[in-house]
Amino acid sequence: MPAAAQLAGTSVELPFAQSLVTEALRLFAKAIRAHQLYLPNNPMHVRAMEAARGGFRAVWDEADTLTLAVTDAELRWLDRPVLDEPGRTSDSIPWMFFKDGVRELLFRKGFEDEELIPLLALLQRARLASAEEDDLLTLLWERDFSFLQYKYVDLAMEGTPVLERGAPDDRERILAPGSIETDAHLLASSSITRMDEYDSTLYFLDDREIDYLQGEIRADFSSDLRERVIASLLDTYEQQSDAAVREEIAGILDSLFLLLLSLTQFRTGAFLIREAALTVGRSRDLSLAERQRLVELSDRLSEKEIFEQLLHALEDTVLRPPQDDLQELFSQLKPVALETLLSWIGRSRNADLRLLLEAAGSRLASAHTSELVRLISSPDDVVAFEAVRRAGAMKSTAAVAALAGVIAHGSPELRLAGVAALSDIGSPGALQVLERALEDEDRDIRVATVRMLGSRNHRAALSGIENHIRTPTLRSGTLAEKMAFFEGYGTLCGDEGVPFLNAILNTRGLLGRREDAELRACAAMALGKVGTDSALMALQRALADRDVIVRSAVSRAVRG
Amino acid sequence: MAESLTDAYQKPTQPPASAAYVRRRGRDFVVSLYGTVRAIKLYPVEHTAVQKTLSELAQIAGEILDREKELEFRLSGEFLFINSTRLRLDLTNYASFGYLLRLCRGAGIGTIKVHDRAPTRSWLVLLSLLDAQTSLDPHERFDEIAVHLAQTHIAGIEILPPVENEADREFAEQARQAATRTYTRSVAVTKDVINSVRMGRAPSIKKIKRVVQGIVDQILNEETSLVGLTAIRDYDEYTFTHSVNVCIFAVALGRRLGMTKNQLFDLGLSALMHDIGKSRVPINCLHKSDELLDAEWRQIAAHPWLGVLVLFNLRGQQEEVSYRAMTVSYEHHMRGDLSGYPKNIRARSVCMTSKIVAVADGYDAATSRRAYQTTPYPPSAVLQEMRDNPGRGMDPVVVKAFINLLGIYPVGTLVVLDTFELAVVYAANHSIDALSRPTVKIVSDAQGIMLRPAPEVDLALQDLSGEYPRTIIKTADPARYGIDVGDYFV
Repeated sequence: MPAAAQLAGTSVELPFAQSLVTEALRLFAKAIRAHQLYLPNNPMHVRAMEAARGGFRAVWDEADTLTLAVTDAELRWLDRPVLDEPGRTSDSIPWMFFKDGVRELLFRKGFEDEELIPLLALLQRARLASAEEDDLLTLLWERDFSFLQYKYVDLAMEGTPVLERGAPDDRERILAPGSIETDAHLLASSSITRMDEYDSTLYFLDDREIDYLQGEIRADFSSDLRERVIASLLDTYEQQSDAAVREEIAGILDSLFLLLLSLTQFRTGAFLIREAALTVGRSRDLSLAERQRLVELSDRLSEKEIFEQLLHALEDTVLRPPQDDLQELFSQLKPVALETLLSWIGRSRNADLRLLLEAAGSRLASAHTSELVRLISSPDDVVAFEAVRRAGAMKSTAAVAALAGVIAHGSPELRLAGVAALSDIGSPGALQVLERALEDEDRDIRVATVRMLGSRNHRAALSGIENHIRTPTLRSGTLAEKMAFFEGYGTLCGDEGVPFLNAILNTRGLLGRREDAELRACAAMALGKVGTDSALMALQRALADRDVIVRSAVSRAVRG
Repeated sequence: MAESLTDAYQKPTQPPASAAYVRRRGRDFVVSLYGTVRAIKLYPVEHTAVQKTLSELAQIAGEILDREKELEFRLSGEFLFINSTRLRLDLTNYASFGYLLRLCRGAGIGTIKVHDRAPTRSWLVLLSLLDAQTSLDPHERFDEIAVHLAQTHIAGIEILPPVENEADREFAEQARQAATRTYTRSVAVTKDVINSVRMGRAPSIKKIKRVVQGIVDQILNEETSLVGLTAIRDYDEYTFTHSVNVCIFAVALGRRLGMTKNQLFDLGLSALMHDIGKSRVPINCLHKSDELLDAEWRQIAAHPWLGVLVLFNLRGQQEEVSYRAMTVSYEHHMRGDLSGYPKNIRARSVCMTSKIVAVADGYDAATSRRAYQTTPYPPSAVLQEMRDNPGRGMDPVVVKAFINLLGIYPVGTLVVLDTFELAVVYAANHSIDALSRPTVKIVSDAQGIMLRPAPEVDLALQDLSGEYPRTIIKTADPARYGIDVGDYFV
């Protein structure tokens, strides 16, 4: 490498070859583009960064610093262009620096390792920033680079008038202090500072005081001031009766609330709603409109569109805020949000979110049963399904009538959920409605119903179940359905049903034929459910049956 | 077109990693140096406290030397440098800085160079000589100490007289010019902002930020010039200069309390905007010199919460709101016990940023001439009142730190010396032993003859007989003498 190089036509001697700087800048530019296009784990990104680092390291072999002048189209080193990118667009690196006032850049050895990536991130942010956002100068200032310094002209300050001071004091003589300050009265005045007033222990901070100050500053800068500001606004709202002031504050709170949601500041959003509600409850001089305005704040969260947007964001975001923050926010939801909530419980694929929604849904539903009952009849099956499920979980007797509607007209899935819900509710009214489902056209629903009725020991359903057992349609049904009905029958019938079941299990027909093996096995299982002595005797008789299906069922039934 | 330099760009003499190390370890060195001098003063040489501090000092010096290959402790103006890195004052080291500055100046020493690993004996001899009571002037003391060091064969330490080089002078002059530029621009922008809000126009947020950045940079680089400019206190521009002054005081205090650069920015922005709510208060109320009617008082007392509303309106569509500025605007007239105004309904405690701004605000307001306060209170009396009157509701520890920043005679105070010369306090002396001895500019002699240019005198310097040639006997009212103290800082 030459110790010095000289450019033809100029007399300035270069400390080292210009090509080193040109190459470093070319690789730097490539790194900027790569950072825009690729994620950090992309091999292209990795290669571009390494190349840029290599470019700078080659310069550091010759010097410890590199100073570049910035023009609108070039970066120049010792008055020679080393990066030429004409065109005043955000794609031009010189222009990006130049347009915000940067006029000189100074890179130091070590920049490539410590601050290359942060600078690229910052340039990317500046490139995408709108006119209202911070410009490159502010971003550079805030980042406070150690290995990169810059000189700038402050374009934002252009046109700022400079304050003029008055004409300088050109008097040659003023009052002689000696002539007026010797007065005894003046000397005794308070303007004389007595040193004993400034004992150094009063003047210098001790360790405890230093700890106090530093602790307070730490606490101050780590706390979220939003709640403080909201409290200030609402305190003002409560104390200022001027309608215009209140309207302005309500407007601020309204837009602040949306901002908080967009920033995922859920706890603070919940704080805002809760405190606004406190204001409504506490302030006696609010007009109806003012009261309504504040109430609307919490209503807004529950509005379908706004709440759905929030849920969308939560569903799509990988990183989530602490869950108790969300819980805090959801605790402020109004009944009207229940529909959206239930709809999302059914659709969300995010397990954590679904858990939170479940909890919020349960809370809202139990506090507002009428809304839940209304939603059981929702045309949206997902909503209706969740509402049915929740009504069951809550054992809400108020929901029985609506569930009857579901049993009568709902889709198979919904009817099945209705059966489970009615069983969970378990009231006489609910079980009475449940009986109707024994007649459902869907086999699964019939099976579920009879099981539920059996498990609830609902004897009133016995005749309905017996009817099924006796009908030929059941005999042509599946084994599962037969078994469910026979077991249900066995659970409810008691000794009174034994002769009927014994006849199926053990008796031959007119032609000496027995019932088919499946039916006999079902009867055996039913007798097992009855469990009385007479039932066991009937089972004993069939213990050695020649049919293996029957024998096996009997054996299981006897074992209980 | 404004031109500025960033902080670190002004003295780019060391690689950043090295500068950071020197700044950190250099601070330890200075604090250790101070501790050792104090120990030598208080205890006999064989006392463990002396031995311990000496060995710690030697160890830190050795460490820096090993790593940096040089160790040079240098005074330049009011700054201390280790090698080429200027050390920054903060809460934990300001007392040691001030003390050592004065000690070295009194001994005529500008630089202490450490070669190799200086043994503890060398440090003991040097520091004992430094602290010795003598009637010699600094030049003679330097010669005496140098001879003594040579005679006792002190190894590893060399002392050099102060050399005010051209670069230092240029740096100081640049700092003064930059401070003036920053100050006047800040006042102009503040005026523009407040007037814009008053007229319903949107002010430039970028300009406001730039102003605060400028003030923070200036305070971090060279605090004295900018703090000095707060003495201007232009009556006609009170509303604007007051905001800028409060910003300067708050940032300077924040720096002393150890805040980071970005924290200082937040604090500065909040301080600059603390009175922005006044832009919604009728001007006739603000400028009324007679006693205010109840309704007028209510309008003025509304400015803290009006400030919150104004700040909400100031933010751009995309911009994150400065909640700190809002908090400070709302709380800066609240006392520690939450009396003051506005009244609170919800529980709160006043945050530290608000406490800092409240102290800066209270001080600047009381020491300024305003429509309803034609005679400002003397700065020293204001500090004393802030310290001694708990009824003011200011945080006593913050007040203490503030006094500590400004000194007993704050910058801009007009004082009468025992020579009956008039002087303006130009820079505080942070040394414990020289609280009442700031650096001043002499305005006039005992006969009232104005001195131009006003000579700068360090009141802490003693004459040949060990006496102080000048001592402040009292503060004076600048209006009484027709003096604009601001003239001495521009």
